[in-house]
Amino acid sequence: MKKLLAALLVALLALSSVCALAEQTTLTMWCIATESDANRPAYEAAIAEYEAAHPDVKIEWEAFENQSYKTKIKAAMADPDSLPDIFFTWAGAFLGDFVDMGNVYCLDDIYPAFAESLPEVMTQNASYGGKKYGVPLTMNIVTLFANMDLLAQAGWDHVPQTYEDLTACCDALVAAGITPFGCAGKETWCVTEYLEPIIEKTIGYEALNEVFAGRQTWNDEGIAASVSTFQDMINGGYFDPNGIALGNDEVKANFIAGKYAFYQNGSWNCGEVNDAEGNFQVALFPVMNAEKATYGQVIGGPSDTLAVSASSKNGELAANAAMELGKAICHYGYLAGSGLPAWTPDYDTSAVKPLVAAVADIVANAEGMVLFGDTAMSADAANTYLDYVGQVYGGDIDGAGFIAGLAADLQ
Amino acid sequence: MNTTMTKKYPPMEVKKRKIIHASDVLAYAGLILWAIICLFPVYWMLTFSLKNNTEIFGENVIGLPRYWIWSNYSQALNTGHMYRYFLNSVIVAAATILITLIASFMATYAMTRLVWKPRKAMNKFFMLGLTIPIHASIVPIYVSLSKLHMLSTYWAVIIPYSAFSLAMGILISTGFMGDIPYDLDEAASIDGCGVWGTFLRIIAPLMLPAVATVGIYTFLQCWNELMFANVFISKDAIKTLPVGVQALSGQYTTDWGPIGAALSLATIPTLLVYVFLSKQIQESFIAGAVKG
Amino acid sequence: MKRPLSYKLSILAFLLPALILFIGVLIAPIIMSGYYSFFNWGGPGKVAEYIGLGNYRELFTSNSIKFMRALGNSLLLALFSVGIQLPLALLLALKLGKKIPGERAFLSIYFMPVLISTVVIGQLWLKIYNPDYGVLNMLLRSLGREDWAKIWLGDKKVALWACFVPILWQYVGYHMLLMYAGVKGVPPELNEAAMIDGCTESQVNRYIVIPYIKPILRVSVIFAVTGSLKSFDLIYVLTNGGPNHATEVPSTLMISMLFLRNRYGMGSTIAVMLILLCFAFALLISLAFREDK
Repeated sequence: MKKLLAALLVALLALSSVCALAEQTTLTMWCIATESDANRPAYEAAIAEYEAAHPDVKIEWEAFENQSYKTKIKAAMADPDSLPDIFFTWAGAFLGDFVDMGNVYCLDDIYPAFAESLPEVMTQNASYGGKKYGVPLTMNIVTLFANMDLLAQAGWDHVPQTYEDLTACCDALVAAGITPFGCAGKETWCVTEYLEPIIEKTIGYEALNEVFAGRQTWNDEGIAASVSTFQDMINGGYFDPNGIALGNDEVKANFIAGKYAFYQNGSWNCGEVNDAEGNFQVALFPVMNAEKATYGQVIGGPSDTLAVSASSKNGELAANAAMELGKAICHYGYLAGSGLPAWTPDYDTSAVKPLVAAVADIVANAEGMVLFGDTAMSADAANTYLDYVGQVYGGDIDGAGFIAGLAADLQ
Repeated sequence: MNTTMTKKYPPMEVKKRKIIHASDVLAYAGLILWAIICLFPVYWMLTFSLKNNTEIFGENVIGLPRYWIWSNYSQALNTGHMYRYFLNSVIVAAATILITLIASFMATYAMTRLVWKPRKAMNKFFMLGLTIPIHASIVPIYVSLSKLHMLSTYWAVIIPYSAFSLAMGILISTGFMGDIPYDLDEAASIDGCGVWGTFLRIIAPLMLPAVATVGIYTFLQCWNELMFANVFISKDAIKTLPVGVQALSGQYTTDWGPIGAALSLATIPTLLVYVFLSKQIQESFIAGAVKG
Repeated sequence: MKRPLSYKLSILAFLLPALILFIGVLIAPIIMSGYYSFFNWGGPGKVAEYIGLGNYRELFTSNSIKFMRALGNSLLLALFSVGIQLPLALLLALKLGKKIPGERAFLSIYFMPVLISTVVIGQLWLKIYNPDYGVLNMLLRSLGREDWAKIWLGDKKVALWACFVPILWQYVGYHMLLMYAGVKGVPPELNEAAMIDGCTESQVNRYIVIPYIKPILRVSVIFAVTGSLKSFDLIYVLTNGGPNHATEVPSTLMISMLFLRNRYGMGSTIAVMLILLCFAFALLISLAFREDK
């Protein structure tokens, strides 16, 4: 009986997929590639390419602003039917929550077809219980962007490589009337782009990984010292005070317009910065404690991910589409400079922009990697963490308060 | 008596006029100042919706636009789907008003013109709705909607909006229905009308003035609501104006012109209606509050 | 008088639509909120764990939730509203109620902001307050008061005030309109009699008009206070509770608990607190005005 039913079901499915082939299938997709997002052109190109290769499939996509998208996708998870077929997500605990709810389509069956160009290691952040649930797009790290023209005005011809040099450079910039850093306080993840590298360069990447994973306590003197360093920089006038009321787009626009000498943010900004008028370079935050950390340790990893909802009526088709789109977005994103490839390039990379090539070089020589904190932690923990980071930026708590609070609130 | 009075106080008449004149200048200046404060942000919004960033960011902050960039509007309309949001808001508002009117007229009829014991208590029960914050029920409604697979449909906001407008609807209707002479009911019942006949043929037609008042009140409640719409609606095709405007502003953070255009597009229709119906609208608000 | 059963059924039928809506969407959810508030619950599809009063305890003690801060902020907003917004509205209403030239035009202009969508007002003031290009700072700079220019929404000390100004801007007209209607309702004989007795305008206002419109003032105060307790839209658009909870109010906190932290039990707990507060304040204000009489 059961077998009969199953056979019938398969027949029905087959029939419906034949029908679907006959007419055009629409796949819906949500992402964060808004008009002002660096990834926008890559998405547009990838979707156009996919639709050209599959004339029977139409991709209907919508883009949402980063911060509000986090709320939106979580809210939609409560009603899986309201989910699009394909959605953008961050790897790590963010996607893990949705996988736990049973809302994500498992990609294990179709992965082998793409294994050749998608290294296993790149799918690890989106694998749960040994199963793959996410298609990585690009991989990114936190980089320190520097406006060399402004540095030159303060008498510097290179990006400082040690903390002493960095402070000296910042002092020179301030003396020349130039704001060294801009950081968007309205979006707390932007603050972590500053704080996390400082912590990593103080306690080392192994220790930070353990803390993010919850295996080590936050109650660590090194973290407290890092927070103090960050706050000293803020109090020393190294940061644009207006930043606290601005969003990331506004801060980035300010940096590109030459209002700040440095801007520390994800490497997905490389293309945009590269194409802007001016002389820009990328580097990493200098080492704070040479006993524990090295210059080549970075924050980042493959995090931007496409996933397929389990409720999709065309699950397999959507999964294949997600793979192909992921590969294409990665391809165009890499060439446009909005990220480094998670997929092995099978195309000519000589046109890669110089800044992107510089970051690719940094990644190739990376001496350790820690995934972004708010991606590594579960929703509740991540937001508690972001809350404390916000308090650090606002000067409400100091390093001791930061580690004590997080140690208490995150066990 | 009259004559003696005017005779008795002639100097005061003169004096009074003078005093009022003197203090009036200051008061008048105050009134004009507040009027400017009310109008200026709107004026600024309308002008920057037609400018580019260089003008807005310093060249020409508060003057009239130099180049009149109408493309800001086409950008907001085309890439921002403002048409769609507008239409959705109209659909939601119309359905909400209809439901609120029907439910509150019927309930008011039962509570004012039909005879039964606990009708006063029932009225008090409904009036609880005036104090209950709409936010308080968001989680259970959200969970129910998601179980019923009704998230991201018009009903997901129409039903809660109607429920939350109900208390005010009943309150206003009670005032209006109380003004209809009770003799009419009796006459109708002698003519052989049942309660339904009386309600449909006698009372409902006489409630037309209340339709406007309840309608306007309900309209503004649901036209501007953000929290429910933001949480319950994720499909672009169903988004209402506030959610759409909010989303659009998130997409164009650094390009102010199209944002200004979107804000203006969301505002101009309401303002136009207000210009023609200002008295009616104001009276609706007064009726809504004073009768409470 | 004995009524037939069909009559009773008619009554029920007339009440039914309202009752279904009211109980289904307001009363039942509130009871459900109360029930959820005793659970640690990650949302639909997740297992809820009964924790008794755990959420309430955490709400009042946690360092990262800061409910007391949110509550304090909404009470401050209520205080600003009653202390600044209402007196301003009353002042305008009293002036406009005195048959001055342009009365209707003023009335219509003052009331206009009430009709603009709160999201639009929020976005508009976001631009007005922008630290670099906002019209407010530009104006101050052009007046040579660079030192007065501020990061209005980013400075913990001024952010709540900065959020209050658009609220004031939008709702003064509303309260003014109500009070204006009241002032217009004062029987002219009362005013004239007082004038004849030699009362000045402010004395007339104080002893005749204001006592006369007391019921309206009560309504205004209730609306202002409960409105502040449940304020959401403007704050959500302007700061979403930031910087560092400086403008957090219970509703913004509730939304971030629900949809950022997936803590549905805690979100419900905040909802329950909101209802209790709104009822408590409405009752208190009514009592205060009754004693006065």
